[in-house]
Amino acid sequence: MGYLLKTDWWKWLCVTILIYTVVGGLLFPVPRLNILNETIRVLHFHVPMWFGMILLFLSSVIHAIKYLKNGNMNSDVYSSQLAIVGLAFGILGILSGMVWAKFAWGEFWSNDPKQNGAAISLLVYLAYFVLRGSFQDEQQRNRISAVYNIFAFAMMIPLLFILPRMTDSLHPGNGGNPALSIYDTDSNLKKVFYVAVIGWTLLGFWISTISIRLTITKQKLEDA
Amino acid sequence: MERVVELIKKDLIVDWRQQNPITGIMLYLTSTIFTSFMAFKGLVSVEVWNALFWIILLFTTINAISKSFIQEERRSLYYFFLSKAHEIILAKLIYSFLYLFTISIVSLIIYSTLLGNPLINHGLFLLNLVLGCLGLSAAFTMISSIAFRTSNRSIMMAVLGFPVIIPVLVLAISNSFKILDSYVFMQIQGNLTALFSVDVIIIALTFVLFPFTWKS
Repeated sequence: MGYLLKTDWWKWLCVTILIYTVVGGLLFPVPRLNILNETIRVLHFHVPMWFGMILLFLSSVIHAIKYLKNGNMNSDVYSSQLAIVGLAFGILGILSGMVWAKFAWGEFWSNDPKQNGAAISLLVYLAYFVLRGSFQDEQQRNRISAVYNIFAFAMMIPLLFILPRMTDSLHPGNGGNPALSIYDTDSNLKKVFYVAVIGWTLLGFWISTISIRLTITKQKLEDA
Repeated sequence: MERVVELIKKDLIVDWRQQNPITGIMLYLTSTIFTSFMAFKGLVSVEVWNALFWIILLFTTINAISKSFIQEERRSLYYFFLSKAHEIILAKLIYSFLYLFTISIVSLIIYSTLLGNPLINHGLFLLNLVLGCLGLSAAFTMISSIAFRTSNRSIMMAVLGFPVIIPVLVLAISNSFKILDSYVFMQIQGNLTALFSVDVIIIALTFVLFPFTWKS
């Protein structure tokens, strides 16, 4: 995170990739599949949101661990701001998924294990912010919320990656539904998708560096 | 290890002398079961029986385990100097598991008396109950040690606990439904192992993270 705060070449990379993603994702030819049709383009916008969310939460947890190790205030700011941006990505992911599900499955919410898992993982981080709000003492707040961050993230792993595989799901990649591996035969999708994941994730980190700077500056002003 | 035994004994004695909390929990349990008996009279299928049992157990757990650190508020400094954090958490984990398991057995007896008893394979159901109780008690002990530091404890227990406990609950409910549906051990071995591994994850995390909530 410190490296990202100092350099900015990756911001140009991010802008380039996102322009390419939006143009290419909306205009490149896509395979004609029944039911899915053009909605397959959601692949470039919905799926990267989840990748971005997981990566942002992961780095939030890494900074929480760092905070517990060295008690550096900045680590807590990094951790909480990354979690906020991750939460925003998760909300966008769930909304874009619901719009897609309306066309592909016929309902916004069809009680699918993937959808439920996604909703619960958002609840976890909403609870994290409620927890942060309920402390008077700043040091105690930072330490206890770092502990909950790690605990909750570790419990999210079985929820998102193991449980959905044990039950049937409508979601691509589960219960015999085709997912990325079958689209791999189609190079047009692949050309945009992998780049799109990198682009959206970089955008997430970009937003978090801005909010980290803002929070640190505010704290300095308060202390001064 | 000696100190762990002493701490467990201390918890037992506290609960024995101060009978309010345990009586309260038992009454809470009985009245919840009785209310659901009145509400669901005549329409309890096996699925409903199973789901209702676990939901009642979940709510009882939140109320029963939340006391495990909150009751220690005035004594916590004393323990802090007397014993190490991992001894305290080990004692708390063992005690809250025993406590919850006793509650769940009592609840199973009252529940099956009032709402009927569709159990076929008692041993397997109990095994699943043990694994479920292990996960529930460990997760809520950890959450209780977090919630104990905040200003609005009773709400925080539920808010922080629910999202974390869902993997355990989903696995336990689906296992026990399969057991009621007369599956045998071989068929649900995988699911029981999954539940057990989630329990192990919770317990391991509790050991690693508890010292950080304790020293303050």
